[in-house]
Amino acid sequence: MTRLGRSVLVGTTFAVAFGVLTPAVTAGELEDIITQAREATYNATRVTKSVWGNQIEVTDQLVEHWSGGELVRTNSSWTVSGNGRLVSMGEVPSGLVFLTAKTTPEIQRYEVGSVTTVKHMHRSALRVEVMEGDLKRATLIVDERSGAVLLAETFNGQGRVFRTVSLSDFKPYRMYPEPEEMSSVPVQVIMHSDSDLLPNELAGYQIVDVFQGPGGSEQSFYSDGLFGFSVFAISKRTVIDGFADSMALVTDDGLYEMVPTAQDVRIRWADKDRNFVLVGDIPPDHLEEILADLPAPGRDSMLKIWWHKLFG
Amino acid sequence: MARMNTYQAQLSILLSCYLDGVLTDEELNEVVHVLDNDLEAIAEFHKLKEARRAVRLMPMLEIPSHLLPRTHLDEELSAFLDGELSTQETPIVSAHLESCGECRMVLADLDRSRIAIRALPGVESPVFLDVHRETTTATRRRIPAVVALATGVAAVVIAFTVGPFASGGEQPTISIADLNARHAAVASVPAAVQISNTAP
Repeated sequence: MTRLGRSVLVGTTFAVAFGVLTPAVTAGELEDIITQAREATYNATRVTKSVWGNQIEVTDQLVEHWSGGELVRTNSSWTVSGNGRLVSMGEVPSGLVFLTAKTTPEIQRYEVGSVTTVKHMHRSALRVEVMEGDLKRATLIVDERSGAVLLAETFNGQGRVFRTVSLSDFKPYRMYPEPEEMSSVPVQVIMHSDSDLLPNELAGYQIVDVFQGPGGSEQSFYSDGLFGFSVFAISKRTVIDGFADSMALVTDDGLYEMVPTAQDVRIRWADKDRNFVLVGDIPPDHLEEILADLPAPGRDSMLKIWWHKLFG
Repeated sequence: MARMNTYQAQLSILLSCYLDGVLTDEELNEVVHVLDNDLEAIAEFHKLKEARRAVRLMPMLEIPSHLLPRTHLDEELSAFLDGELSTQETPIVSAHLESCGECRMVLADLDRSRIAIRALPGVESPVFLDVHRETTTATRRRIPAVVALATGVAAVVIAFTVGPFASGGEQPTISIADLNARHAAVASVPAAVQISNTAP
């Protein structure tokens, strides 16, 4: 029986007797919960809602999830991701395969606060609180039988929910065949890069691996076991599309262009040598700490800050 | 007891077939029903998945050198990067790459050079320089050397000052959608699982 299986069993027994299973669940068990969730097999509608300042972003997707991978269908296209691969069938079919033997680091900064048994969508589930020190960072509602996370709420540094991911029309153990066209989509193999441009640790996140990026850029992927982000260091000559409708993020270090989405946040800035783009699913307070540890926006951006402060 | 063992054996086979994705619709319905209702079946299912996960975690075995192709890879590396290898060829090339440092270096060089080529700006001389070149060719024999030298210097100065602006439209472009896809792919590598050559 897996550790999650044991904790589920213990949790169920304990909860029946006392209603609540309190602390003593370690980060190791949290890793088991996340692993079981990654391995769970189901299909469902997944609704993701994020709040960035006054902006609310919502998206819903049809998801087929299986061991380590998932297929997301939209109107006429689909995307399959998992185990370092991503294959998309959209207007331009494309695939990426990352060659890496490195793995995400162990969870160190989070631990499970309390576990209670609940009913969610008429199913037996565990409500797991994920603590970052004294701060409640997330609440997970985990389906007892399949291990799928039915509902996940992530909190910002002020303890307010900033992202909710919920499953509905949940059908456990149901899988559909992979799209037949998948094998015909050309894939690009992405190799490891030996660069050490960025530090090994950023605001509690460990560097996992560095890869060659498009147009001579490089991608550094960081994770803390629960959240993750990539920083792309790109030549100053390169134009980066997709920030036309960005909002301004002003920190003590400078002005950044930010495009928040339901699932992640995208940040762009430039120092005197390079353009940088950060993409990740990190909470806002982590984002500010990470940006403070990265090269700050160049002086021309300071002019933009004053312009922004004066004229909005 | 014997009946129970038979049931468990059948269940085990069904669950195994389920994980392999080879069940009929009828069998799939049965498995889905059992998995959502029978705690013992769920435990057995998790045991099977755990076993398969453990297999994935095993270090990749060294392939005996006498089974590997004796010659180094050549065109296959290019096809590998382009994703043009057949399903049968891919594992052979991957296996060779795992054991052959030389081919890995060639593959990395090949990939780097492709990236470098793709990153090169397309250089096209501005139209006015083309006109000037034609004029120069037509009147070459009639222009004194000093004037020709001055014209050359002027052309170089113009190329350095106007050139960057003239080639502004040739700047390489990266879309945030591409970067986002790359992040999603890397983030999908689970903890303690090596990337294999199987489909996701």
